[in-house]
Amino acid sequence: MTEAPILEIEDLHVSFNRGEREVKAVQGANLVVRPGEIAALVGESGSGKSVTALSAMRLLPYPLAWHPKGSIRFKGEEILSAPEDRVRALRGDRMSMIFQEPLTSLNPLQGIGRQVAESVVLHRPVSAAAARERVVELFELVGLREQIARMDALPHEFSGGQQQRVMIAMALANTPDLLIADEPTTAVDVTIQAQILKLLQELQARLGMAVLFITHDLGIVRRIANRAYVMCQGRIVEEGVLPDVFRAPRHDYTRHLLASEPKGTPEPASASAPEIMACKNLKVWFPIKRGVIRRVVGHVKAVDGVTLSVREGHTLGIVGESGSGKSTLGRALLRLERSEGEVAFRGRAIEALRAKALRPLRREMQIVFQDPFGSLSPRLSVGQIVEEGLLVHGQGGDADARRQLIGQALTEVGLDPETQDRYPHEFSGGQRQRIAIARALVLKPKFVVLDEPTSALDVSVQAQIVELLRELQKKHRLAYLFISHDLRVVRAMAHEIAVLRQGRVVEHGPAADIFARPREPYTRALIAAAIELKADESGAVAM
Amino acid sequence: MSAALVLKLAPLTARRLDNFRANRRGFWSLWIFLALFVLSLFAELIANDKPLLIRHEGTFYAPVLFAYAETDFGGDFPTEADYRDPYLKKKIEADGWIVWPMVRYSFTTVDRNLPVPAPAPPSGEHWLGTDDQARDVVARLIYGFRVSVLFGLALTLLSSVVGVAAGAVQGYFGGKTDLIFQRFIEIWGGMPTLYLLIILASVVEPNFWWLLGLMLLFSWMALVGVVRAEFLRGRNFDYVRAARALGVSDVTIMSRHILPNAMVATLTFLPFILNSSITTLTALDFLGLGLPPGSASLGELLGQGKANLQAPWLGLTAFFVLAVMLSLLVFVGEGVRDAFDPRKARR
Repeated sequence: MTEAPILEIEDLHVSFNRGEREVKAVQGANLVVRPGEIAALVGESGSGKSVTALSAMRLLPYPLAWHPKGSIRFKGEEILSAPEDRVRALRGDRMSMIFQEPLTSLNPLQGIGRQVAESVVLHRPVSAAAARERVVELFELVGLREQIARMDALPHEFSGGQQQRVMIAMALANTPDLLIADEPTTAVDVTIQAQILKLLQELQARLGMAVLFITHDLGIVRRIANRAYVMCQGRIVEEGVLPDVFRAPRHDYTRHLLASEPKGTPEPASASAPEIMACKNLKVWFPIKRGVIRRVVGHVKAVDGVTLSVREGHTLGIVGESGSGKSTLGRALLRLERSEGEVAFRGRAIEALRAKALRPLRREMQIVFQDPFGSLSPRLSVGQIVEEGLLVHGQGGDADARRQLIGQALTEVGLDPETQDRYPHEFSGGQRQRIAIARALVLKPKFVVLDEPTSALDVSVQAQIVELLRELQKKHRLAYLFISHDLRVVRAMAHEIAVLRQGRVVEHGPAADIFARPREPYTRALIAAAIELKADESGAVAM
Repeated sequence: MSAALVLKLAPLTARRLDNFRANRRGFWSLWIFLALFVLSLFAELIANDKPLLIRHEGTFYAPVLFAYAETDFGGDFPTEADYRDPYLKKKIEADGWIVWPMVRYSFTTVDRNLPVPAPAPPSGEHWLGTDDQARDVVARLIYGFRVSVLFGLALTLLSSVVGVAAGAVQGYFGGKTDLIFQRFIEIWGGMPTLYLLIILASVVEPNFWWLLGLMLLFSWMALVGVVRAEFLRGRNFDYVRAARALGVSDVTIMSRHILPNAMVATLTFLPFILNSSITTLTALDFLGLGLPPGSASLGELLGQGKANLQAPWLGLTAFFVLAVMLSLLVFVGEGVRDAFDPRKARR
């Protein structure tokens, strides 16, 4: 406590010019990061946490953004009023940052070694050979020892986890005093997330730097932080040392955040319920073509012989890392992807049906996508979006009757029926997801594929959507295929779980059994990574 | 009513309209161009060798609209009246009056009373002089401008429709359809357009519609690229997948869900396509392969300017009119492009 703080942010205000309006993104943030500690800044999207962090590096789009008030001191030195040269000298040298999306943060046209070397050379007048040596050191530091030989390879040749490690190596090039990590694990798989968290924690302990870790995930905060700041609507509403903060939260918002982590279990469903959707030995192979005549030289086996079934009122959770074929499987079941193998919907084989014959069945099987921003046509009103299915299937009678039905569907997902004349961009992510659910439900389907419906949403909204989905399932006896990499959400939703790896089901069974007694090491690693945020040491998952 | 309509147009469209208005150069260019175009639509009332209105012996006549015989005005012949004939003029004005258009010549009117050999330099009678067949340049400009713009608009509209449809089909279905179409376009696009036009022009008597059809054969490819790219991108959007999952037909998905995205690129291109259409027609006319002899056209005027270097008013007039028209369109195009640019934050 007596040590001088590395970063002090005092009464920080940040405003943006949006046309003639002033958007106050941050209104009075106070936070202190001390040497050798990991401070977490927690908040939902739009709470101003990233803006606060970017202010500390003076990386906001000035003069569009400005600071009406406040002060930021880095080791006692005022940042906000410092000359640009001075700030540039500090950036990447004494304080550095890692971002959410590793691939877009790396230059796609330069070898990774060169990019890491650049951050060394930029601040130290060293020879090329010395810089290279330093790069090798850094690669070893971030656990890329085996990749040293591939130093000249381009970023896209590496996996997401490796890219994030490269980013960390760049950030650590000059052993900074402060590392700002802006949601560094949001874009990677849970297993990779666990590895990255572990790495960051080790590095922090080894190098003794201070870390400001920005996240929306309370689980991560619990796992790695010493101190937490909770941010809400541009203000820091709660701060404290872990684990006390979360044991006795003082502010309502913190309590709300804590209460909103997905929990509970699905309603028990009858095991003898009729089978709604089933597939047998389902295969989706994408041909790899080479040469002038586009000869097929092999296949990407996205889904490779999957057999499963979903019963009425049941939820089948499909879990796996990205690229394991989860989404492809969901789309193949809905006949949106060409596939081989049997697919039966309510006992009727549908794998060979043509588009026209399939259309009447489409009414009974629906899909909700991950990205609520991409899944609604921006140029149609909410009413038109929900109405489309009714029109296609000639349901709902005349315009007034349809309006009534749309209103009902919107009410059912917890939206005001009057919102149907507004446009999607006026709604938040959670509300948009509700609209997407209403679009699926208005047709009264039997089977709904939920393709990561919660992963693009804030934690508190996630819980609401999970709650809503469970309620709807109970009411309409819906069968869900719930695709997710987030096992916490799956635990709250699924009756049964199928673990997918490289297109194959490696483990399948009742959800409770799988969580209690996972048989496969891969399943164990997934569960450890997702629930306890622990990295797997057995080598069951790739780095 | 119009305000309500704008509100219904979705806020995005409203913002784009605002952006376009904020670009003053493009905004004014559009109005000036529209004013000129609308004026030229009424060319018959501005430049004509027939009076707008005649009052003769207590009766009104509108020679612009109806044909009257000379005998109606007390002349000698039952043929159509030549109102420029001093003899007839005197007859009419003896008992009544004549309201002439601003320019008393049509694009075909030959002034037989020129004090100097044609082409005559600018004077009070012929503001921009006459061409080498003693026809008034102002009149020919007004009619020529109208033909150019109408031709340009028609060609732009038709080639956009064909181009958008072709691009949409290629982008949406992709695969073999796309492959075959693309190769076809590469071959078709490699044809020497002007050369083909010259050959075709020697086979048929070219008129407005023939030229339009011939040009359309090659101009539709301009938009295929952008529209195809938009559709290739658009067909993988989640909301397109969602529509497919709802059982929406391909045609509806294309027109309702993806086309609006492609329209941005299309609208941005339109002024530039209009520009190139006008230029092409001018070029053909200049080479003497365009509209039939005698029609008013900017290209033909340019050709005369080249043939009569001693009469610089011909070439200069055609040049300035073309330059102003094309610049206005380019300014409008820039305005439209900026208005659709999401990164452009105005003010």
